[in-house]
Amino acid sequence: MIEMKGTVDRRTLLKMMGAAGASGAVFSACGVPEATGSTRGVAGAEFDKSIRLATAGPGGNKNWQPGDALKFLPAENIPTRGPASDALASLPKEKLIEMYWRMNASRKWESTLKDLFLGGEDGLYGAFHPSTGEEAMAVGVMGALNDDDYIASTHRGHAHLIAKGGDLNKMTAEIFFKESGYNRGYGGSMHITDMSIGIMGMNGIVGASYYMAAGAALHAMVRGNSQVAVAFFGDGASASPYYFSAVRSCANQNIPCIFVAENNFQYMAVPMARTVPTKYVTEYTKGLDIPHYLVDGNDVSAVYEATSEAVEWARAGNGPSVIEGLTYRWYDHSGFSGGRIGEDGASNLPYRTDEELRGWISRDPITRYRRWLAATDNATEAELAEVESATQRAVDESVKFARAGTEPAQEGGVLNTYASAAATATQFYNRKGLVG
Amino acid sequence: MTQAQKSYGYAQLEAVAHEMRADPNMVYYYEYQVPVSTLPNGEVLDLRAEFGEPRTSGSGWPIDEQWIVGAAIGAAAAGSKAIARLPSMAQLYAIEYVYNQAGKIRSMTGGQASMPFVLWVDGARRGRGAAGQHTDVGAEAIYANLPGIKVVCASNAYDAKGLLISAIRDPDPVVYMDYPEVRGGAQPNVPDEAYEVPLGEAAIRQAGSDLTIVAWAPATVDVVRALPQLAEAGISAEFIDPRSLKPLDVETLARSARKTGRMLVVDHGHDSNGFGSHVIAEVVQEVPGTITRKLAFPDVPGPGSAEMMSWLRPDAPKIVDAAKQLVRA
Repeated sequence: MIEMKGTVDRRTLLKMMGAAGASGAVFSACGVPEATGSTRGVAGAEFDKSIRLATAGPGGNKNWQPGDALKFLPAENIPTRGPASDALASLPKEKLIEMYWRMNASRKWESTLKDLFLGGEDGLYGAFHPSTGEEAMAVGVMGALNDDDYIASTHRGHAHLIAKGGDLNKMTAEIFFKESGYNRGYGGSMHITDMSIGIMGMNGIVGASYYMAAGAALHAMVRGNSQVAVAFFGDGASASPYYFSAVRSCANQNIPCIFVAENNFQYMAVPMARTVPTKYVTEYTKGLDIPHYLVDGNDVSAVYEATSEAVEWARAGNGPSVIEGLTYRWYDHSGFSGGRIGEDGASNLPYRTDEELRGWISRDPITRYRRWLAATDNATEAELAEVESATQRAVDESVKFARAGTEPAQEGGVLNTYASAAATATQFYNRKGLVG
Repeated sequence: MTQAQKSYGYAQLEAVAHEMRADPNMVYYYEYQVPVSTLPNGEVLDLRAEFGEPRTSGSGWPIDEQWIVGAAIGAAAAGSKAIARLPSMAQLYAIEYVYNQAGKIRSMTGGQASMPFVLWVDGARRGRGAAGQHTDVGAEAIYANLPGIKVVCASNAYDAKGLLISAIRDPDPVVYMDYPEVRGGAQPNVPDEAYEVPLGEAAIRQAGSDLTIVAWAPATVDVVRALPQLAEAGISAEFIDPRSLKPLDVETLARSARKTGRMLVVDHGHDSNGFGSHVIAEVVQEVPGTITRKLAFPDVPGPGSAEMMSWLRPDAPKIVDAAKQLVRA
């Protein structure tokens, strides 16, 4: 039974009654009082996962400047006590190690690809939007999902794929545009997809994730099962009209879709202050009585706890939630300008300070999780070190796999657009090659 | 004099600056494409600083193309000359508002409303690595199909500036396609002062007698590569860049077709219902018996792989092949 404290409106009460027995506590972190940064959950308990706020947010402060994001940095270590830590600690040790494995694999995969792009010997080309620094969001969310749940990713989604169990070999081969890649050379970084494990794909269009995920969640409702879907998006994409539309309709129809904002304070070189008129992305939709969570996005336990509650809420038939994690991308919007071989992070970018980057690197989500695992006796130093070298070996193997792959056939260019038959290609006027 | 070293991007911003200085009500809205450009001598043109907000989008607006386009159309309906600029992966994001409001408002209101609106569409390229949504070319054909809309497509810095000025001064909505591939290479001199390249006037880039090649940006890049090989093969090609697709200078195209009797249209847009098909239809109606051929990008999303993409692109070797076939036909 849910313990009721405080007041809730009728709709929320009905939802909670519907969830009774199935759902845990529901927290709403929106409208956090500035003085404490914590809020009372509607079902009791203090919400202590949110970042304490010393100043007005970047959106609330029209004079917000690059560098001010530092003010939103959480403490260096993630707590080893409290509801978030307890929630994570309730997972089996193998699962905790697997989450560490995936965070490391994601980081090492991107770092290794970065070195290969900058080194040039493989002649890599194409778009690449690094998610380095945001791994706790991906792994924390995915830790709360089942393998058959859906995710719709963004252009910055490598970490999502790896956290959901994506195959490193096929990912690397796709970056090499090889036939052995996930998308057989058609897609590249921005479109990597694995429908077999619910990854509906990264996406080159900002704001495309909302309807993909909401539609998949409807599909689950139609089939009457308990799958949920997650739509990832950033602070920039929250401006898309598709966002309001999807959250509204999911709330209207109790569609089991979870909207996860990875707020990294900037889109391309444009600071959040110019695009988000509220202090936080989560405030956009606070008129809807759906759960909202504002968490430290570099704290895998906080992300995990919020998501597991949102998932439970959705599986119980109560509809959507919005989760916002505050995090930071260590690299430029796309590519590796300002980056160096053998080192993580891009310095000297014109629109932000190196001090800000260093501040966020000092709150590296992987290092913080490592310390948590050790402090809670969930892993020994030797086990952690083994994961770190094993993930690098797996990444190195994936590079070998990609190099050994074959180039796709040119004629493939007119296939694969329609389910059967080649697309018309009148340009091959008296030239060899038109298939079918 | 700074003419010779003026970049394509600078020439475009210069066009906007001329018109914004001349009309204090004119507005220019964009997403992240901050309007700052520099000459080699260090001179900076910064529309954001010169005109400020709300006449510009300052250092950027939210990723909300419907808003950018809708706001500009509303301002234009109220009487401001207005430009809205779309990113290359969002070329059609706001087409509903362009279709149902910008293109129809003069007609629907019995001529009460004017629409001095320019939709500046950043194009993409048929190049490797981006895949799908970031490789699209040919939105000009989709926009040209909408009633009330005009479409221009520049292929060098001189035309870019002149067409943009004509588009801004035009009282009707004009879609200005801006393809990145035509920005490189040698550019003609761009005068410092304001000038117009009139809508509806094609440019004959090279005179010839054996066949007519028609291409607009960015296919002009491939035609220019093919021309020397055609000359070597003894083929005298006339090369016409329509520049303005709607209104289309059918007269210049037809005159050339009458002379050569053969026309090759090269289009980086998609094959079915692409603008190349329209060019051929217009010319053949005017000059029955013209032998025609179209090279277009097939009806497929652009693949990421370099191998597949170069095979699909209507590039110089394919143009040379097709031209040879055509003169023998």
